[in-house]
Amino acid sequence: MSPQRFPERVMDTVTPKRPQPASPAQRISTWHRLWHAVKRPRVRRSLISLIVVIAGWEIVGRYVLTNPLFFVPLSDVILALIRLWGTGELQTHIAASFRAIGYGMALSIVFGIAFGIVMGASRTVADYTEVYVNALYAMPLVAIAPLLILWLGIGVASKVGVVFLISVFPILISTTSGVRNVDKHYLDVARAFGATPVQIVGKVLVPAALPFVITGIRLAIGRAIVGVVVGELFGATAGLGFLIYTSGQTFDVPALFAGILCLAIAGVVLTWALQRVEMRLVRWRPAPLED
Amino acid sequence: MIEASTAPGEVKLAVQEIGKTFHRRGGGSLTVLEDISFEVRAGEFFVIVGPSGCGKTTFLRIVQGLDAPSAGRIVLSGQPLHGPGADRGFVFQNDSLYPWRNVLRNVTFGAELQRKKRAANEKFARDIISLVGLNGFEGHYPHELSGGMRQRVNLARAFAVDPDILLMDEPFASLDALTREAMQQELVRIVAETAKTVLFITHQIDEAVMLADRIAVFGTRPGRLMRIIDVDLPRPRLLNVKRTPRFQELVDQVWTLIAQSHGLEAEGRDP
Repeated sequence: MSPQRFPERVMDTVTPKRPQPASPAQRISTWHRLWHAVKRPRVRRSLISLIVVIAGWEIVGRYVLTNPLFFVPLSDVILALIRLWGTGELQTHIAASFRAIGYGMALSIVFGIAFGIVMGASRTVADYTEVYVNALYAMPLVAIAPLLILWLGIGVASKVGVVFLISVFPILISTTSGVRNVDKHYLDVARAFGATPVQIVGKVLVPAALPFVITGIRLAIGRAIVGVVVGELFGATAGLGFLIYTSGQTFDVPALFAGILCLAIAGVVLTWALQRVEMRLVRWRPAPLED
Repeated sequence: MIEASTAPGEVKLAVQEIGKTFHRRGGGSLTVLEDISFEVRAGEFFVIVGPSGCGKTTFLRIVQGLDAPSAGRIVLSGQPLHGPGADRGFVFQNDSLYPWRNVLRNVTFGAELQRKKRAANEKFARDIISLVGLNGFEGHYPHELSGGMRQRVNLARAFAVDPDILLMDEPFASLDALTREAMQQELVRIVAETAKTVLFITHQIDEAVMLADRIAVFGTRPGRLMRIIDVDLPRPRLLNVKRTPRFQELVDQVWTLIAQSHGLEAEGRDP
């Protein structure tokens, strides 16, 4: 029952229907909730696909591609993860990579949104800068990474630099187009009620562009992971990229796969986290229908 | 006419020789409004009616301060107007609610821009919301509301800045006929309860006659004021007023003027 189906009448005495908050007595246990989640088709399909992939990997590694220099079963990868965790190496690598992703993404988000709003709102600024944005956006990052390492040295700074450079443009570009696509009526309303330019940015442009910004951040997450690995391949003393590179050099294939697996999980977790944030921030959108 | 503005409380809005000309790139110009002068009295429901292309929306945007006039000036409550301001409440044709704000926050938007105290805003906004009959919907988002309900929010948003005058740009044009008639009745009730001055534009003659104390009939090309008609129908006007002979007479009178405007236009084209 959606509220828009209420009949419109002369003196509509419609009573609003809001979901009632569950009283403590009605609250269900975590296990119960998990069970209900599994019963939802989308969750169920994800689970089935996960089980098939895990089983497939194990079978292929054990019976099809049996050369351990080429491919290893998932169980060996998990053993390698446990071994690396035991020595404390894995934590170091994960922390190093995530620190670079975190700092780099934070810079990208702040700079990308701020400059994206300016570029979207001012045609003049866009005319002066757009060509460089497009040039850098299309630039293969591998071409700049060695330069950044020369400039910033082997360490967290160069990795943050690479992550920033690769992840800022999707955010910048989608924020710009979000601001440009703001419904003209929204601006008219704000101006009619006497909004100052600062209020127009804060109360109209930013919220209206928010879905675009989030899409940009989602694209940026994937690129940031690429960026950190590229940075670590070229020069680093720790990090998942470093783990992958050194494991390859020493033919430690299970450890190599362990690094790859960690990156894959990072991508999934970050995207999921962003979706949670999006659901909070863009609650005003009509909820998508679920079958 | 201009002397009248010296009597305070009597004339709310004085429109003095307003003209608007758009200049085309590479020469040539288009005169949309020519020499428009009239006065709206305090507490009056003043309706501008005219065919599409008579520049009535442009005129209202000038009163709001969204567009600048090429000639003339507008005086509101004795003060010449420059640019937009919260002394006027604008009701847009397209409801233009902010989808990321719930009903309450859409209604408080105008007052929020004035940096007024939040608590006072909300109290006033809640009163307005119940006045437009949306009690209990404060927390709903626009996508959860019907077209008629959204227009109620649109109305409430304009009333919530407590303006000197309400400017309404065909607010019911996009509603279906039943909802439109209901909303007309609602608007009359709300305006009566708040004792506001209203400048309302429409292209629907029966809507104009139904709502107005006085009707200004605009002609086209260029948009100009043809005549002001007093609507002497008694209030409250219920739907059955439409079947009275006087209502029909007034509709005919407006209709004839508009037809005349088109006739003149045809003559003008013939050299």
